[in-house]
Amino acid sequence: MTIRRAALAGALALTRAELADMFQYRVVLFLYSLWEVVHPIVYLAVWGAIAGEGEVGGLRLSDFAAYYLTFMLVSHVTAAIEIYTFGPMIQQGQLSPHLLRPMHPVWVAAARNISYKSVSMLLLIPVWIGLVIILRPSFTVTPGSVALFLVALVVAALLSFLVGTTFALLAFWTTRSFSFWEIWIGLTFLLGGQVAPVELLPGFVQNLATALPMRYTLGFPIEVLLNRLDAGELALGFAIQFAWLIAAALVVRAVWRAGIRQYSAVGA
Amino acid sequence: MPPDVSVRDLVKHYVVPERAGGLRASFRSVIRRKHRLVRAVDGISFEVDRGEVVGFLGPNGAGKTTALKVLSGLLHPTDGQVDVLGFTPWDRRAEYLSRITLIMGQRQQLFWDLPAADSFLVNKAVFGIDDAVYKRTVDLLTELLDLGDLLTKPVRQLSLGERMKVELAAGLLHTPRVLFLDEPTIGLDVTMQQRIREFVTAYNAETGATVLLTSHYMADVKALARRVIVIDQGQLLYDGALNGLVQRYAPHKTITVHLEREADLPDLNGQAEILSVEGLQVTVRAGKDDAPEVTGRLLTQLPIADLSVEDPPLEEVIEQVFRGEGP
Repeated sequence: MTIRRAALAGALALTRAELADMFQYRVVLFLYSLWEVVHPIVYLAVWGAIAGEGEVGGLRLSDFAAYYLTFMLVSHVTAAIEIYTFGPMIQQGQLSPHLLRPMHPVWVAAARNISYKSVSMLLLIPVWIGLVIILRPSFTVTPGSVALFLVALVVAALLSFLVGTTFALLAFWTTRSFSFWEIWIGLTFLLGGQVAPVELLPGFVQNLATALPMRYTLGFPIEVLLNRLDAGELALGFAIQFAWLIAAALVVRAVWRAGIRQYSAVGA
Repeated sequence: MPPDVSVRDLVKHYVVPERAGGLRASFRSVIRRKHRLVRAVDGISFEVDRGEVVGFLGPNGAGKTTALKVLSGLLHPTDGQVDVLGFTPWDRRAEYLSRITLIMGQRQQLFWDLPAADSFLVNKAVFGIDDAVYKRTVDLLTELLDLGDLLTKPVRQLSLGERMKVELAAGLLHTPRVLFLDEPTIGLDVTMQQRIREFVTAYNAETGATVLLTSHYMADVKALARRVIVIDQGQLLYDGALNGLVQRYAPHKTITVHLEREADLPDLNGQAEILSVEGLQVTVRAGKDDAPEVTGRLLTQLPIADLSVEDPPLEEVIEQVFRGEGP
C-alpha cells in the first residue's frame, strides 16, 4: 500500500475510532444538540411575533418557520468545532504524537468533526421532526433546489471547517485564540443569516453579507433549498462560495506551515 | 554501512519569555517583554550505528529530550546537520516517520475511552501495515510485553504501568528501525521498569533496531546501553563505553585489604583516607592517581591475605560528572 493511500485509510480508521469514542458521550452530545435546537427557535419566535398574521419583507410566519427549521440542520452540519477540539490539542502539546504519524494532523480535527456531527445528528433528528409537525413550515423546495442545496451544504461545511481550523491554529501563537473566534461568531450572527435571513438585511449590509464569507457557511444553503434566490443570485452565490473555499484552503495551508515552524522553533 | 544516526554540530536554542511573579511584573510584561535565550543543545556531534543501543545521560534540562525531539523531527534545529536513515528528520516525510518511533513516558497517543485495540487499528491503517504483518507484530509485542487482555480494556481503566506497556506497543506496531525512547520507565514501579528494560533488550535482539534512550534511572542505562552519551547544559561531556565513563571520571578507588594478622597501618602520607577497620578488614579510599602507590605501600608494609581495588558505583560517578567535577 502506498503512503498516500495509507493516510486516507488512516483518516477513515481514525473517524471510526472517533465515532466509537463519541458514543461514550451521548448525554453531553444530547445537551449540545438541544442548544442547537433551542436557539433558532428564539429567532423564529421573535420574527413570528413581528410578522404576526401578515408578512415581513415578503416572508410569512410559515416561511420563517421553514427558514429556521432548515437553519437548525444546516448550522449543525456546518458548525465549526475546531476551536474546542483542535485548538486545545495544540495548546496542551498533544499535537506531537500526531506529528509523528505519516498523516496530516488536520485529519484528526476532521475525524472529530465528522464523528461529532454524525452522532449528535442522530439525536437531533427526532426532535427536529417533532418541531416540523408542530410548527407547520411551508417548505418551498423542488428537486432541483434540493440537489443544489446538497452541494451548497457540503461546500459550506468544508468552508466552515477550514475557517474553524484557521482560528484553532492561532493557538500556535496565542493562548487567546478564543477572542478572535468570538469576532467571527459575532459577524456570523449578524451577516451569516442567523439573526435574520440575509434578504431582510438593509441594502448595504446585505451587500456586505453577500461579499463576506459568513453567509456561505450558513445562510446560503438555506436560501438555496427554499428557492429564495433567482438564477443570477444562485450563480453569483456559488461563485463566491467556491472562491472563499479556495481562499480558506490556501489560508489554512499557509497558517499551518507558519504555525508548525513556530511550534518546532519554540518547543513541542 | 553508513550509520543510522549522524548528528553534526547540532544546536537548538529557544527564546523564552521571562518575568517575575506578581501583579507588577505582570503589568510590566505587557509593555515590555523580557526574553531569555535557552541553549538547550549547544553543538553536539555523534553517530549511532545500526543495531546499537545508546543511552543519553544528563541531569534535568541537559538537553536530552530536545535532542530526541530534533532527531525524531518534532523540532527544527537552530543549526547543525542531522541525518537519520538518510532523511532529514524535520522534513517529516511519511517514509521517514514510518521507519522511526518516539515514545515519551508522559505522552499519550491512545484513545482514552476506547480499548487500546481500537487505537492500534488506527495505527495499522495510518502506517499501512498489512494484515499478516500486523497480526505477527501484535503477537510478538503481546508476548514480549506480556500484554494479555490489556488491549481489550478501555485505556482509562489501565494502571500507569499497563498503559506504558500498551503505549510502547502502539509506538512499535509499524516495526520502526530506529527507536527514540524518552524516559520510558518514568513513574513505573521497579518490577515494571525491569520488565520494560527486558523488553527493549529483547526487541533490539529480535529486530536489530537501533535504540536511543534517555533516562535518569541509572539502572535503565546500565541494563540497556553499552554505550552512553553524557550531555549537560547542551554540551557533550562524554561519548563511549559505559565502563569507560567510570574509568575516566571516577575520582578515587576503594582499596580493601584482608590482613593475615593484626598489624599497625603504615603512614599513608595523606594520600588515602581510611574508611573502616573491621577486625582484619581495612578499607581505604585513595585518589585515582595515588591508588597504585597506596596499593604498593599496603602490599609491602602489611601482612596481606587478600587485596581488592574497586571503582566507585556508577551512580556516584554520574552524579559527580553532573556536578561539573571533571576527571
